[in-house]
Amino acid sequence: MSTSSSRNPLELVDRYLQAVRFWLPKNRRQEDLLAELGEDLRSQIEEKESELGHALSTDEISEILKRCGAPMLVASRLGPRRHLIGPTLFPVYEFVLKMVLLWILVPVFIFIVGPATLASTNGDWGKTVLVTLGNLWSGAFVAAGIITLVFAILERTRAIADINCKWDPSSLPPLQKPERKTSFVQTICELAFNVFGLVWLLLVPNHPFLILGPATAFLKLGPIWHTFYVPIVLLTVAVIVRLAVALARSQWTAFPLWSQLLQTAVSLLLVHYMIQAAGHTVQGDWHPFVTIADGVRSSEQYVRYTTIAAVVNVSLLIGLVGTWLGVCIGGAVQTWELLKHIRKNRSVSQQPASVQLR
Amino acid sequence: MYVTYCMSNGSQATTEVFENLKLELRRGCLTLAVLTQLRTERYGYTLRKALADDGLEIDEGTLYPLLRRLENQGLLVSQWREEDKRNKRFYRLSPVGEQILEQLLGEWQRINTSLSKILQEA
Repeated sequence: MSTSSSRNPLELVDRYLQAVRFWLPKNRRQEDLLAELGEDLRSQIEEKESELGHALSTDEISEILKRCGAPMLVASRLGPRRHLIGPTLFPVYEFVLKMVLLWILVPVFIFIVGPATLASTNGDWGKTVLVTLGNLWSGAFVAAGIITLVFAILERTRAIADINCKWDPSSLPPLQKPERKTSFVQTICELAFNVFGLVWLLLVPNHPFLILGPATAFLKLGPIWHTFYVPIVLLTVAVIVRLAVALARSQWTAFPLWSQLLQTAVSLLLVHYMIQAAGHTVQGDWHPFVTIADGVRSSEQYVRYTTIAAVVNVSLLIGLVGTWLGVCIGGAVQTWELLKHIRKNRSVSQQPASVQLR
Repeated sequence: MYVTYCMSNGSQATTEVFENLKLELRRGCLTLAVLTQLRTERYGYTLRKALADDGLEIDEGTLYPLLRRLENQGLLVSQWREEDKRNKRFYRLSPVGEQILEQLLGEWQRINTSLSKILQEA
């Protein structure tokens, strides 16, 4: 490609048109538009010249071109309006994308791909989480690409155009009751917190440092965790599912109330059994939650470590009792909320239809 | 400082809303103005100048696609012709365009009358 650098000021117009042409699709219509734009610019220059009484300098022509706009911007105005997915289809596209990525892909990876990976990595939780997250990322990327492609094809073929003819008012969803709902942001935060908690829980068996910190050097997790680890993980997964359903089905106003109460009841039972199990004394050696690591049993500081372990065990037991009390109070409040909701629903269903619609 | 930031952000948002509404308001009016001006044959630049002289500025990137659209809809006819040793594209209203313009002007008068009435009542 050759470039010219002649000193003719009008050459600037041709260079400008060439730059605009670069951003336009190559067809006859655009050439026509470009010819017209060129003619308009030359007319402006001609008029300015007759007004000033002399031929315009490069700077003066530059001013006219600047006023017309940057080539890319002018091309975007002159060219056909282009979008991959138009305003009619975009809300549907957004909905499908959200459904597939959040409510199909994520649960499939948590409940199917994750456990399958765990089996293939011989129970290495850290590796499983990393591999599953990596696969989830590439899966989400491919799924988003395919959905975008399908919608782009629908947009081009205008397949959605006959939706308006098939629309039936009787298929509209029922009115949502004006119930005070848990805030969307609150549920999202809870969900994120629980997912983070689940990941942390899954990592703990292979990385006890995450729970014991520097004390890993002389402490290890006690026997109680072997019994209660799986129920705790399952409970966390159930909480995540509950929050996900509450998000996806915001019109189910009663669901968050009773599912939370159910979750509280299960948690209460779990904490109760943990306290009970912790109360059992094994051969006079009481180390239910944390015990002395095998490597330091013959250490000189063994007695000191035993004292630390005892303090940690007692603290954890007190913490568990406190949790049990807190969960009991929470359960009472939630039962009250659920009863209030049921009573309110009954009174609404007894009102005449005209009042309910208001 | 925070108050100044909020105020400047607020006025920026107001300006943006105004600009968008102005654009919407102008869109229909521009079509009407262009069709009316093209009762007489003109080429792009003189049309733009005539509109600007009457207080309706329109840039090249808006006018030429609009002319093309109106031509595709059959409201305008155009031809390239040489004038002053330069090729120029001349536009004028087609017979269909004349009919549509009359209907549009009638509609415009009705809207204008209604709006004047509403403004008087307010």
